[in-house]
Amino acid sequence: MNWDIPSLEELEDIVWKCTACGNCKVAYKFGPPPSFGEICPAGVEFGFDGNMASKGKIAFARGILDGELEWTEEFVEAIYKCTVCAGCQNQCELDHKPFIPEIIEAMRRKAVKDGAGPMPTQKVIAQSMRSFNNPYQGPRRVRTEWTRPFKKVKKPIKNIMKEPAPILFYVGCTGAYNAPARVIPTATASVFQKMGLDFGILGENEICCGSTAMRLGDADEFIRVAEQNLESFKKLHEEQGVNTIVTSCAGCYRAIKKDYKLSDEYESVLNGIEVIHTTDLLYRYFKEGKLNFTKELPWKVTYHDPCHTGRHLNDFNIDKDGSVQWKGSYLGKEEAQCLYDVPREMLKAIPGIQFTEMERIRDNSYCCGGGGGVMTGFGDWAAKNAGYRIQEGMMTGAEKMVSICPFCHYNLNEGAKRVNSDMRLYDLVELLDMVTEDQG
Amino acid sequence: MTEMPKENVDGNVLKELASIVGEKSATSAKHIRYAYSYDLSFVSRKNPDYVVMPESVEQVQAVMKFANQEKIPVVPYTAGTNIGGLCIPERGGILLDLKRMNKIIAIDAESHYAVIEPGVSHAQLATELYKHNLRWSWPVGPPSASVSSNAISHGIGGLSGRYGLNSEEITSMEVVLPTGELVRVGSCAIQENAWHSCLPLPRMDGLFTGWLGTSGVVTKIGVRVHPIPPVLKVFTVSADNIEDMSAYMFNLGNYEICDDLTGVSWWLAQVPIPYPYKPKPDDAPEWFSFGTTFSWTEKEKEAREEIWEMVVASEIEKGSSLKKTVYPEEALKARTELPSQIVGSTKNYTKQAGGGISWPGTFTPLKAWGPVYNDWKKILINHNLSPSVRVTNYRGVHYGMLRAMIPFNKKSPEETENARHAIVECLKVDLDHGGIPYKPPVDFAREINQRAHPGYLSLLKQVKKMLDPNDIMNPGKFGI
Repeated sequence: MNWDIPSLEELEDIVWKCTACGNCKVAYKFGPPPSFGEICPAGVEFGFDGNMASKGKIAFARGILDGELEWTEEFVEAIYKCTVCAGCQNQCELDHKPFIPEIIEAMRRKAVKDGAGPMPTQKVIAQSMRSFNNPYQGPRRVRTEWTRPFKKVKKPIKNIMKEPAPILFYVGCTGAYNAPARVIPTATASVFQKMGLDFGILGENEICCGSTAMRLGDADEFIRVAEQNLESFKKLHEEQGVNTIVTSCAGCYRAIKKDYKLSDEYESVLNGIEVIHTTDLLYRYFKEGKLNFTKELPWKVTYHDPCHTGRHLNDFNIDKDGSVQWKGSYLGKEEAQCLYDVPREMLKAIPGIQFTEMERIRDNSYCCGGGGGVMTGFGDWAAKNAGYRIQEGMMTGAEKMVSICPFCHYNLNEGAKRVNSDMRLYDLVELLDMVTEDQG
Repeated sequence: MTEMPKENVDGNVLKELASIVGEKSATSAKHIRYAYSYDLSFVSRKNPDYVVMPESVEQVQAVMKFANQEKIPVVPYTAGTNIGGLCIPERGGILLDLKRMNKIIAIDAESHYAVIEPGVSHAQLATELYKHNLRWSWPVGPPSASVSSNAISHGIGGLSGRYGLNSEEITSMEVVLPTGELVRVGSCAIQENAWHSCLPLPRMDGLFTGWLGTSGVVTKIGVRVHPIPPVLKVFTVSADNIEDMSAYMFNLGNYEICDDLTGVSWWLAQVPIPYPYKPKPDDAPEWFSFGTTFSWTEKEKEAREEIWEMVVASEIEKGSSLKKTVYPEEALKARTELPSQIVGSTKNYTKQAGGGISWPGTFTPLKAWGPVYNDWKKILINHNLSPSVRVTNYRGVHYGMLRAMIPFNKKSPEETENARHAIVECLKVDLDHGGIPYKPPVDFAREINQRAHPGYLSLLKQVKKMLDPNDIMNPGKFGI
């Protein structure tokens, strides 16, 4: 397999498209009414222009490319002090816009290649990936611990390596190994079973999607697991009848949907397989009347858009041959893949739910602070930032916050503890599990 | 063109700065300094030696006292989005990043003024003002740019046709002098909470407007704000030449009915500005104009329209090439939906070139627009650059803005230098016709000084010496 993962040097011309105008520093929409908000977690925490938004990161890239900036401990730390949330990207209007997360990650790839990155705490992840095929240093057998309750009640979950099924539930490492986040695969499998879906999991044979490695700049490790996964998906399609890969993890979803496309065999390997987020799959059944909510949930809730199921899934229109404007120009974005309306519509449909919005939502959602390796590299800052988001949620009068990402789930709950808030983050699928009975 | 100053980082200085603003808000890390070393313009990159982010007036005072005592240059900074390299440290020193002083202290919705700190952005103020159906003269800049910096640098905005420059909208100021002394000008100097007017006191606000951050650090500013009438009407025309366009703008400007009355050359009307230069199609008009009006009632709008129709008819009767025209919807949005991320990103300007944008930006009498533009056109085309020129009336007809937005490929030193040469040449022509550059880079300042009355330069130096005895505030910007 060949992978088109660009180096920083290959992105140099694009780096120079930034004018340093600073649009990227704050979220803003004309409206009317106009809306304004902080959008860069690193900018909020560290404040200096270098740390802030894409303007700052592009400055770092320029400094590396012109030879002015050399790796120091502090500089390496600075390029990892970014959640790669793409909030800054959402504000940009210039031709480098589609490539902003790519430029940030290309700097990290260079740091890794030069032996300078990632951060020491993040190196543990890289080692864990090599030793355990997951970033949590978790032995293979632990990966299926969350399935025990299902065995207990004699509703075991199919091992798709042994029994064919059309749906592969790709659990993801966070749901499997991060104890507080295990409620997510548990609720997902429970809802699937109530609906009578024919699905299976890879169990102990599941390996990391590679998202964490990619976000940290470890392209080699990403490629290693991504190729294994793609081969595995192909085999499952051919031999076990898999035609849908569903995941409840925003990071895995983004990786399989977007990062795996950097392989020249993506289209052929995934031919005949649909990759879908759990929320989207359940929404389909909901719209078809096959998923009905039979219980009431009298909760006041607000919704947090994860970056990886939101703006990270933008499709950017680029004038590739210069036939519309000029070669390489950014023409606009399409949000069809972004899961903005689907979770909201389902939440609002749950009997008893009172739904209220925060100020920074959808494409201008404020990142929980856990992405881009920040949770492992700078745990304290990640939780502090999550606390800000929880406070924003509390200001709406909501009692609970709902999202669709295990990283956000873990980090926002940590944030709530930090600000001594009673607000808790629930995954949407947890709520769906609560209000659903056997659909048969 | 000025060169990179010699690096002068001293651990003891950093320690002292950290003791004032806190360790997390003071740094001499090279990668952070690098990020403050350049802007959009052709001005060459120069690092500060330290960056500090104060959060209070007291911290600003302490930094200034220390810097003054040690004779270390200080460059005030809010967003760094000017197109004149004004925040690029000519002589290193301390870059004073004021973005964390970003409180909207008061909005007096009855008396129509707001009091803000220097880090308040246009996006932030627009959001709060709108709640009171109020607006500011939003410039064609990024929403993240500072309202205060725009005002004290004689910036303009969408209401400049009616109210003049944004510096004319300042009602009071609190300023830390280069010595660290805290002063106030305008009504707030007499009564602490009165921020309504600089008049009838002596106009000491002039000591801090147009000084390019060389006379003090503005820590609070009062600005006049205005109601938002609900009915928008934009008058759009085209003309074949600058003479016909400026005659029309003279005529219409005389009635003072537009919030913004602007003309743009064909090259500036393109998205993006063609880079390098490309000829205009023969059948396309060379100039377009939009006159933005807001009215309270339909009848008021109709009355304005009646005046505009009369002006257009009288120009055509004189044999002008003027024609009513339809301006593209997107372009109109860019002119009426401010602050705007699209125009703020300079998308229309820089996209095709790559990263660089500079201007000969001037205040020029309307009468001189024609001859200056025609010379600029020759100079710019000779440099293979588009004559992408804008003209705008300021509060009436006696003077206005004349500027050319010049994109260039910042990656290429040769192309950057080519743009700089062309721009400085244009500037000389404008100065010779009585125009004055605004937010000038050092190259421009030198040209101004060559032509200046000796008494002007002498007074400038005396005032500067009085306010900044050790020449620490943004030194070198006046090219003196």
